[in-house]
Amino acid sequence: MAHVFDATTGAAMPKTGGARWLALRTVRNLRKGLSWAWLDTVCQYRRSKIGPLWETVNVLVMTLGMTVVSSAVIGGTVTSLIGYVGLGIIIWSAITALVLDGSMTFVRNREYILASNLSIDFYIGRTIFRAFITFSHHLVLYFVGVAVGLITLHWVALLAIPGILLLFANGYWVVTLFALVCARFRDVELIIRNLLQLAFFVTPVFWDYRQVAKERMFIVDYNVVFYFLEIVRAPLLGEVPPLKHYAVVLAVTLVGFLLAYVAYRGMRRRLAFFV
Amino acid sequence: MSSVRLSNVSIHIPVYDSSSLRLLRMPSFGRAKVGSRTVTHSGAAFVVHALTNLDLQLGDGDRVCLIGHNGAGKTTLLRLIAGIYPPTSGALEVDGKVMALLGNSLALNADATGYENIRLVASLYDWPKDKLPDYIRDIEDFTELGEYLSLPTRIYSAGMLTRLAFAIATMRPPDVLLMDEGIGAGDAHFQAKAQARSQDFVNRARIMVLASHSVELCKAICNKALLMAKGSRVFFGDIDEAFGRYAEMQ
Repeated sequence: MAHVFDATTGAAMPKTGGARWLALRTVRNLRKGLSWAWLDTVCQYRRSKIGPLWETVNVLVMTLGMTVVSSAVIGGTVTSLIGYVGLGIIIWSAITALVLDGSMTFVRNREYILASNLSIDFYIGRTIFRAFITFSHHLVLYFVGVAVGLITLHWVALLAIPGILLLFANGYWVVTLFALVCARFRDVELIIRNLLQLAFFVTPVFWDYRQVAKERMFIVDYNVVFYFLEIVRAPLLGEVPPLKHYAVVLAVTLVGFLLAYVAYRGMRRRLAFFV
Repeated sequence: MSSVRLSNVSIHIPVYDSSSLRLLRMPSFGRAKVGSRTVTHSGAAFVVHALTNLDLQLGDGDRVCLIGHNGAGKTTLLRLIAGIYPPTSGALEVDGKVMALLGNSLALNADATGYENIRLVASLYDWPKDKLPDYIRDIEDFTELGEYLSLPTRIYSAGMLTRLAFAIATMRPPDVLLMDEGIGAGDAHFQAKAQARSQDFVNRARIMVLASHSVELCKAICNKALLMAKGSRVFFGDIDEAFGRYAEMQ
């Protein structure tokens, strides 16, 4: 049987120890995905003076709107809620970018997949780092919030860094898995889009999960997205997330990477047939 | 030493229509039939037999042009060697680094300038950083694009994209270079330069496979020809003889 080629080095994928080999190659190729995403961002800045900050303006408008609605419907003052809601929306938009751009990653790069032997890792890395760069732009709003005194700065905020790393590390399997599945089944992207819209309301992005009645708490407890949200948001607001949150996130990470690996082994070779 | 070996390779390409590209779908009744090729129905999609029992051995210094009618399997063969398509049966062995240039463009971001695209490709293909200025100067000389290299590649013509792509692909010659008819978009001047550059290429004993309908281009930069029809090998060897047989087929 033929080898599966590492497109850019010509190295054949070994039959055994494939997982380790794949992991090493993946890390090497991530750096190149970053170069690509960086060039995309440079071009974005060239088109308009503030580049991706246009999206940040969107996030700001959304935050103001959602905070007013939330304080009116659920209670609480706008100033006490705005940090919570704003960070919620910033993190949510990163999750949305990873899932939606992720699922279109291969379909959108169809012509390169068919015309060059660039490793598909580059497309995955490009998507993740673009989401990360946009997210970093949105974080400017957090520092603005700190500067004007809406959010108090704590040392605990540093705990957000591992949270952010975990969030984007999970982006890797999300993009890989969804990009493969959505290239094969084009309707899945539409289904995901719908579910994400629902998830925005079900997840405590703009409403406080502490106000949920005890007997309804399951809608928060069984929502994995909630844990990803909290390991980034809680530290930034000065709270240490409970260990349980990290445990859930790590478990999801493990299962996610396993799923992505299975999908990769099963679909990688045939990808060019269905993009 | 680089080599490409195909023994008894067949590729069956599943063709997914709009219904088989959906996860949720109505059960389908009726079957598809397509053209003159053998088409069989398998599960959700139908299948095109794009290459059938192909044998081919290429070694150092082989610069092969693929000729044949549209749909003869030229691009499929290139994609196979590039590792884009897996063989359905048979064995494929490729020794050496491969670079595939199957469109006429290596511009990975159309909004970025020519220079930025060169640097991106350099990074993706692991070009040594310290030699990059030399490479860029060489690409400037070869492409003669002048200040266009500082403009977004979006505004380039097909011929200009071809020049840039060819210059980049042959800058640090891979062991195996695969090119499609896209590079036929260059003008006569470009083709003369491409010929000179290919000579340099073969001096370093590399393999090149080029699909093209242009007799001049093939004769200019290749030393062998593979004539294909319906996914099979008809003739492999001397270029003139291959084109003679190709003319008889028409």
